Amino acid sequence: MEYEEKTGRAHRPLSPKQNVRKNLDFEPLSTTALILEDRPANLPAKPAEEAQKHRQQYEEMVVQAKKRELKEAQKRKKQLEERCKLEDSIGNAVLTWNNEILPNWETMCCSRKVRELWWQGIPPSVRGKVWSLAIGNELNITHELYDICLARAKEKWRSLSTGTAEVECEDAGFSAADREASLELIKLDISRTFPNLCIFQQGGPYHDTLHSILGAYTCYRPDVGYVQGMSFIAAVLILNLDTADAFIAFSNLLNKPCQMAFFRVDHGLMLTYFAAFEVFFEENLPKLFAHFKKNNLTPDIYLIDWIFTLYSKSLPLDLACRVWDVFCRDGEEFLFRTALGILKLFEDILTKMDFIHIAQFLTKLPEDLPSEEFFTSIAAIQMQSRNKKWAQILAALQKDNREMEKGSPSLKR
Amino acid sequence: MSSAEEDYNFVFKVVLIGESGVGKTNLLSRFTRNEFNHDSRTTIGVEFSTRTIAVGDATVKAQIWDTAGLERYRAITSAYYRGAVGALVVFDITKHQTYDVVDRWLKELYDHAEPSIVVMLVGNKTDLAQAREVPTEEAKMFAENNGLLFLETSALDSTNVEQAFETILKEIFQKVQKQKQRSSQSSTVSLGSESPESSAPAQGEKRPCCVAI
Repeated sequence: MEYEEKTGRAHRPLSPKQNVRKNLDFEPLSTTALILEDRPANLPAKPAEEAQKHRQQYEEMVVQAKKRELKEAQKRKKQLEERCKLEDSIGNAVLTWNNEILPNWETMCCSRKVRELWWQGIPPSVRGKVWSLAIGNELNITHELYDICLARAKEKWRSLSTGTAEVECEDAGFSAADREASLELIKLDISRTFPNLCIFQQGGPYHDTLHSILGAYTCYRPDVGYVQGMSFIAAVLILNLDTADAFIAFSNLLNKPCQMAFFRVDHGLMLTYFAAFEVFFEENLPKLFAHFKKNNLTPDIYLIDWIFTLYSKSLPLDLACRVWDVFCRDGEEFLFRTALGILKLFEDILTKMDFIHIAQFLTKLPEDLPSEEFFTSIAAIQMQSRNKKWAQILAALQKDNREMEKGSPSLKR
Repeated sequence: MSSAEEDYNFVFKVVLIGESGVGKTNLLSRFTRNEFNHDSRTTIGVEFSTRTIAVGDATVKAQIWDTAGLERYRAITSAYYRGAVGALVVFDITKHQTYDVVDRWLKELYDHAEPSIVVMLVGNKTDLAQAREVPTEEAKMFAENNGLLFLETSALDSTNVEQAFETILKEIFQKVQKQKQRSSQSSTVSLGSESPESSAPAQGEKRPCCVAI
């Protein structure tokens, strides 16, 4: 190797700009802008008293700066220690998941110990596997089926882009215009999916994968098609799973009752979910509930965004993934429990706000949500109302709804 | 993308890891665009660049991932390492602390990547020789003991940047070749981004593929 070759390098002509690396880190931070100097020779010297005073001030400033630097060094050290601790605990969890839990999934997945470890957050290296297992594959989708759907999607894209006349009535009810609109929407949404990660945008490493999965889904479920919010769900899955497995998880996830209700925009059913949510809202946070009622703040204002994207757009990504972890464990009720956890965490602030501020706050949550407090807050939410669980409340409301619909069809929206 | 750019036999995914501020982004931009940015900001998400080079009689497209997001979002670690066949673990020769944590980066790497991944330790910023805190010999020994390739680079004056990437890509290529010889029916994983709009079907050999080594 050629380390020695570079000895003459310093003499190599470089432009002055290139030659000097802007590197403030190498200046002792504490002394920049802190220079004690006598007056220039052409001016009368400082009086002794003033010079003494300046010297004193200078020394004080240096002491302060040193103190600050020491403090910062300690802070950095502490941060490093915390990081090491976190990494070690993740490392240990990986071992447990890989050696104990995953090989015995069926018997262990519901045990208390596993549930507790699960709540702590699944380590990134096994997250995809655990999600896949927990979501399951009720639809029996194979990798081959994904390939077929993708091939069909590509066929459609091609015919749309070349302007070839559609084979009419291929699937009745879904016109070329619809498809084109949906294709445009997918393109637009991909560019807006986690833009700051730069992973899914044009030219990014998973741009085409995201495009493929969403396209394949529109061919797999033309009755559902592409609905905004899906791009976020697919993106989070892509971050954790290989393409075909991500598609399988995506399709099965969207097939869950709550997701189907939302993505098919079944308005009546969505309202039922909101109503069930409000039952638990009132039970857990009566004061805030009353405040929201007084301000006419209905749950759709904030829940739609949260549920459609499974929080991946609203929460910091790491937190969103932890919410997904437990959502995979507990199912749809955890989505609503999370919502209540958020409301509880910010209860004091929200109680002091009016309609518009609450709406603004909840649709753009603070970016520095503290994860431990956040999960403590969710843990404090009880998903039981007068001895009834989420599923029971929801079923009862659905029944009421059906009866009402029967009575007056005009109420259906 | 130009058609020339698309002419390759292999796609190798290589990841850059190491502490914030060691110069990962500038190593990447020096290699792929021959640029150095004095005022480069912290990488927020993933910086992602490609460059196609010749290795032996094959054309290899290096798909290089660089991120600070890794430090920021644990949620993307899995995606970051998935399918990587090479890694550059970068430290700053003028900051011992960035070298001290190399083994933590290695641990994370081996937790997520294939065990056969080719790893190179890179001591960057040799242009700041007067501020050196990590002796070359020390890092070299560490690399030898841990089975890593090793080079010192300067993204600022270009020293060894090209060599670093070429060396690791060659090493990966040789590993792939050896594996091919060993088993003719090796499992191939397509890393090539299949453009959904592309009308031409992937053509046999030209099809970008990456052998899982």
